[in-house]
Amino acid sequence: MSNEDLYHKVVGYVELTIFPTVVNLNRIKLNSKQCRIYRVRVNDLEAPFLYNDPTLEVCHHESKQRNLNYFSSAYTAAVSAVDPDAGHGELVIKVPSELWKQGDDLKVLKVYIEFSLDQPKGGLHFVVPDVEGSMAERGAHVFGSCDEKMKIFSCHRFWFPCVDSYSELCTWKLEFTVDASMVAVSCGDLVETIYTHDMRKKTFHYILPIPTAAPNISLAVGPFEILVDPYMHEVTHFCLPQLLPLLKHSMSFLHEIFEFYEEILTCRYPYSCFKTVFVDEAYVQVSSYASMSIFSTNLLHSAMIIDQTPQTRRCLAQALAQQFFGCFISRMSWADEWVLKGISGYIYGLYLKKTFGVNEYRHWIKQELDKIVEYELKMGGVLLHPTFSGGKEKDNPTPHLHFSIKHPHTLSWEYYKMFQCKAHLVMRLIENRISMEFMLQVFNKLLSLASTASSQKYQSHMWSQMLLSTHAFLKSISNVSGKDIGPLIKQWVDQSGVVKFFGSFAFNRKRNVLELEIRQDYTSSGTQKYVGPIKVTVQELDGSFNHMLQIEENSLKHDIPCHSKSRRNKKKKIPLMNGEEVDMDLSAMDADSPLLWIRIDPDMSILRKVEFEQADFMWQYQLRYERDVVAQEEAISALEKFPTPASRLALTDILEQEQCFYKVRMQACFCLAKIANAMVSTWQGPPAMKSLFTRMFCCKSCPNIVKTNNFINFQSYFLQKTMPVAMALLRDVQNLCPKDVLNFILDLIKYNDNRKNKFSDNYYRADLIEALTNSLTPAISINNEVRTVDNLNADVRLILEEITRFLNMEKLLPSFRNTITVSCLRAIRQLQKNGHIPSDPSLFKSYAQYGHFVDVRIAALEALVDYTRVERSSGELQWLLSMVQNDPVHYVRHKILGLLCKNPPFTKTTDSALCNEALVDQLWKFMNSGASHDWRLRCDAVNLYYMLFGLTRPSCLPLPELGLVLNLKEKKAVLNPTIKPELGVGAVMDTPASIGIHGFNTMEDEDIDMETVHDSQAFIHHHLNLLERPSTPGKHTHTHTHTHTHTHYIHVLKTLLIQFSAILFIWHQITTTVISMYGPYEQALGNSGKEKLPFNRKKPAKPASGRGTHLPQLVGGEGD
Amino acid sequence: VFSVHMVGEGSVSICSIAGKATSSPAENYLLARRRTLQVVVSALLTESGFESAEKAAVETLTEMLQSYITEIGRCAKAYCEHTARSVPTLSDTVVTLIEMGFNVDTLPIYAKRSQRMVITAPPVTNAPVTPKALSAGQKRTHPAHIPSHFPEFPDPHTYIKTPTFREPVSDYQVVREKAATQRRDVERALTRFIAKTGETQSLFKDDITTFPLIAARPSTIPYLSALLPSELELQALEETDSSEQDDQTDGENTDDPGADKENSMLPPSGVVPSTKASEDNVIDNPYLRPVKKPKVRRKK
Repeated sequence: MSNEDLYHKVVGYVELTIFPTVVNLNRIKLNSKQCRIYRVRVNDLEAPFLYNDPTLEVCHHESKQRNLNYFSSAYTAAVSAVDPDAGHGELVIKVPSELWKQGDDLKVLKVYIEFSLDQPKGGLHFVVPDVEGSMAERGAHVFGSCDEKMKIFSCHRFWFPCVDSYSELCTWKLEFTVDASMVAVSCGDLVETIYTHDMRKKTFHYILPIPTAAPNISLAVGPFEILVDPYMHEVTHFCLPQLLPLLKHSMSFLHEIFEFYEEILTCRYPYSCFKTVFVDEAYVQVSSYASMSIFSTNLLHSAMIIDQTPQTRRCLAQALAQQFFGCFISRMSWADEWVLKGISGYIYGLYLKKTFGVNEYRHWIKQELDKIVEYELKMGGVLLHPTFSGGKEKDNPTPHLHFSIKHPHTLSWEYYKMFQCKAHLVMRLIENRISMEFMLQVFNKLLSLASTASSQKYQSHMWSQMLLSTHAFLKSISNVSGKDIGPLIKQWVDQSGVVKFFGSFAFNRKRNVLELEIRQDYTSSGTQKYVGPIKVTVQELDGSFNHMLQIEENSLKHDIPCHSKSRRNKKKKIPLMNGEEVDMDLSAMDADSPLLWIRIDPDMSILRKVEFEQADFMWQYQLRYERDVVAQEEAISALEKFPTPASRLALTDILEQEQCFYKVRMQACFCLAKIANAMVSTWQGPPAMKSLFTRMFCCKSCPNIVKTNNFINFQSYFLQKTMPVAMALLRDVQNLCPKDVLNFILDLIKYNDNRKNKFSDNYYRADLIEALTNSLTPAISINNEVRTVDNLNADVRLILEEITRFLNMEKLLPSFRNTITVSCLRAIRQLQKNGHIPSDPSLFKSYAQYGHFVDVRIAALEALVDYTRVERSSGELQWLLSMVQNDPVHYVRHKILGLLCKNPPFTKTTDSALCNEALVDQLWKFMNSGASHDWRLRCDAVNLYYMLFGLTRPSCLPLPELGLVLNLKEKKAVLNPTIKPELGVGAVMDTPASIGIHGFNTMEDEDIDMETVHDSQAFIHHHLNLLERPSTPGKHTHTHTHTHTHTHYIHVLKTLLIQFSAILFIWHQITTTVISMYGPYEQALGNSGKEKLPFNRKKPAKPASGRGTHLPQLVGGEGD
Repeated sequence: VFSVHMVGEGSVSICSIAGKATSSPAENYLLARRRTLQVVVSALLTESGFESAEKAAVETLTEMLQSYITEIGRCAKAYCEHTARSVPTLSDTVVTLIEMGFNVDTLPIYAKRSQRMVITAPPVTNAPVTPKALSAGQKRTHPAHIPSHFPEFPDPHTYIKTPTFREPVSDYQVVREKAATQRRDVERALTRFIAKTGETQSLFKDDITTFPLIAARPSTIPYLSALLPSELELQALEETDSSEQDDQTDGENTDDPGADKENSMLPPSGVVPSTKASEDNVIDNPYLRPVKKPKVRRKK
């Protein structure tokens, strides 16, 4: 029994109080994964139970099928089979027949479950630093136990049996017994802390009187340092030992966020206390639970760090927004998720606007809009509110995706992020329609209804007010605002896709009219047609004018009358949109036209991409004089196509203008570099930005030396960081980085002096290394000679010298978040890739190991993934995949798969030696059963599989023996579905029955060549069949066989769906004992988990069992 | 006797080299004393019944006597300075004698013994004058507002700034250049040293010395070094803005949770919570409350 074994163990006890709402309650279904259940009692009577987790292994019985369509449908079916919203669960408890009578009288039932959790792979995460040394030292470590902490993530059924649904609310009493040196932080109010009798452990008693769903319950245990917020004593912060000073600084503004939300929502924070816990190896950066939030410890920073500060504040603001919408008010069903994500994202946006300013806010909205547009155009639409018609899912709303969006658990992580992004953008569209006042009134109304409901007893049936559905939200909006937002919802919520506009114009001088043409592309993937109003802003000589145009089915052209005649010689100031009047040099513009610039949908009130054509001088005017940052950014991206001296001047002017938003100026740097490269033959003067940088940041007396660092002005700090990075992208006629640019950057590094600065320069130095990386160009190689030190290019030698020194210094004086190591690793990979130094993965492998800071590991892994692709190395791919399976940090595993997807070693369309049967099998096994403990990881694996092999059978697999199979149902022979060629998306839509991504129609086809039918599918088929029959409550006969395995009974159920849709679980009482040090239960519990968890899997069910009798029928009906 | 040892330590070394015939007044003074001591020694010898003595023996005894007296003087002075006085008193001398193992009670009897010889007092010679310190420049006379009885100004060189500078290195460029080069050299030398003495990784298979990289070593708690500012940075921060820290709130915060945490770890004794309660009656946070003892259920 090693120490680790003792560490990673939880023994618990759950008590549920159930108010039956229907008669004939014989079965109770709960969610539970990887727990070992010892005993279940209902009202003091031993209750038999069945434990079946179909998601452990998605596709059973070694099948030749290796296509993703099949997997996705099987996986969806498996998740559906235990979906708590549909009344299913992994754990089925049979109510003893003695209590049936009581249940029929709708009396309270109490369910007691004893369970333990051994070495959990998911759900609970233990972080125990591995201390080397003798047993004594290890022992000391165990008893001192100063380094243990753990945290939990979203999937609650992983760590205690519950109803893992956001819609089943109940109040909670939680008790945790932990070692005396630990603190257990959980949801609700800490009532008291009591020592155990031996005084070596403490029990934390929590009560959460506000009805809360199980997924909003969490726990964190560790030797935390405690900080009571100096402004709000109800708020407590927790961090790991030694980080208290950072915690103090990072949390010093949290009260401002609180005040802001409470003010705009005119509603008190709903819980009586709030806790923030910072843990290592966090699953996600921010996760919110009822009255507590768990953050990654890497968000903590000291006062010296500039770049991390806004990021940390954003994370805190996000977490707090989710406390109101997401935790306190939770979703009615998965389809309503968008409302909560939308509202929390929206109020978070309001916070951003207030704290970071309107420019930052608009910049962020544009970024988010660009992100969602890019994703949808690439991957297909993101659907916010999917509707599934009844139990049948024939019409799959998202046929373009390789996964099902019916459950959160089958969703790709990237898709979910985009989903959240779109949700808040849509919420903003609603605000545009009904005004912010109404919007906030709606939120206030929802919150006050919920808080009234939360104080009521369960019997008053008010708790459903705390659940928010799309319908209720829309109703509330129409009540408050009196406006009909139906079309908006239909367009953006019920439908997926974005709008793609192409705009161009001509000026008709005779009529003094602007003829605007707006076309749409609504046929390509991820797009939709837009019909409705659109705003166009025209800046003329006489001022700025808004025009509302109607986009209709067939009209492309719009005539907009102009207000001003062209008049170029009158010296008069030109009024802008914001009322400002400016002098402009009008010599660049067209003499005949009064138009300065035109903007389509300037307020971003459509989820769209606009490609607008206007002359280069118009973009330049827009960049110089339009005050909206979004317009400026659009102008910058447009100017990339116009490499002229005028563009150069406009960009340089913006760069120098201190009133201009710094992110615009940063973007201008990169654009200027691109323009300079395009104009390389005609470029006059020193390299772009060099004289500017010298003027802004170098000493007056000696212009080659940079001033000693002083980052007190953040705008110029960010500019100082960005300019060298952009300058390094400059190329001369030979397509090399100009010598004086490289020397300039080397000088910046040499003369960098941070001694007098009150801020750390780690990000600046990291960016200087990035600049060095950017300056690299492919090496000229003769006859593929081996790269040695001797034939190293002189410039590269200088660069390598700097990188070596930086990387070595980092070992002695590590920088914040090891930013410099990260930059160095990227630089080394770039040197390798460009053939300056030999390509070698061993350095990256050592930095990718567990035990390095997570950012460093990710950077090293990124390099390794790149190496794998470039060198087609199967060894490295195997190394990465084994890390995906074995690494202790969930985030790293997730990230590796994400990196592999982004930079795949090969794709379905390319041939590669890496693509072989063994790899298919390996990935398949991982998806199928290896990643059963982590939804996110499994979906990542599915993504990778899709990226590598596509939807259908991987091309490297041998063809199955049977080309044709007989479909008994349709009474005809069909092509074996396993060898169906991959069809395009369009084709899928044409023939949904033949190759839908999931749904029973295809499953029936695919079941044919399976030896037996998958359990969960059988469950569903079976129960759906049952559903179709009229149910006669109380008259069901339950055939169940008692298969005696130790102390458990197997029951097979028939009437689950009918009963469980109506059951409410209310008073959820949990007593969880967290054993961290000792394992007294280990002995007592002799049985091994293997035997128990899937115990009905391997052993064939007895013929008399209910399932046993049904399965052969199902198979026999359709099989061969 | 006592007047002799007032001379103190300084005289000892001078005495020992006094054999040489010199004619400076200070030496003459010392020689006279020495001669008296020799007379004393001879008288004592005579008193004890010696008729003659070798010169060397007398010299030795004189030396011993002189050391003994000097030690009494040194010691007595130390005692007196210990009690913050500057002039030794009788009691200092007595304590000294006791300290040196001399039975003081026997002294009066010895002094009044009958056969003692009376020696003539040493010839009066001028006390040695301390040689004038090297003086440079003209001493300043007192300005009008300083009364004349105040001490004189010291020599000008002790307070006057004499600017002697080499070629000025205030050229900004040179300074920066020098600082940068120096730092880089130090960094390079240091990292090379560490790399030479420890494990390394190399970017080139054939050459492991040109660009040696210190091997990456996983740590047990990697986030600590990555998040906490290094001592160097902290130092720099203190130097730059020690004034900007708002010590007050900071100080308060550090005290409370730290102390409370400790308390929560300890079994609550009667004293700790009560002092606690008086301190933070403002902050009532459940995590700061002391841990309760379990209820005793054994009733036997």
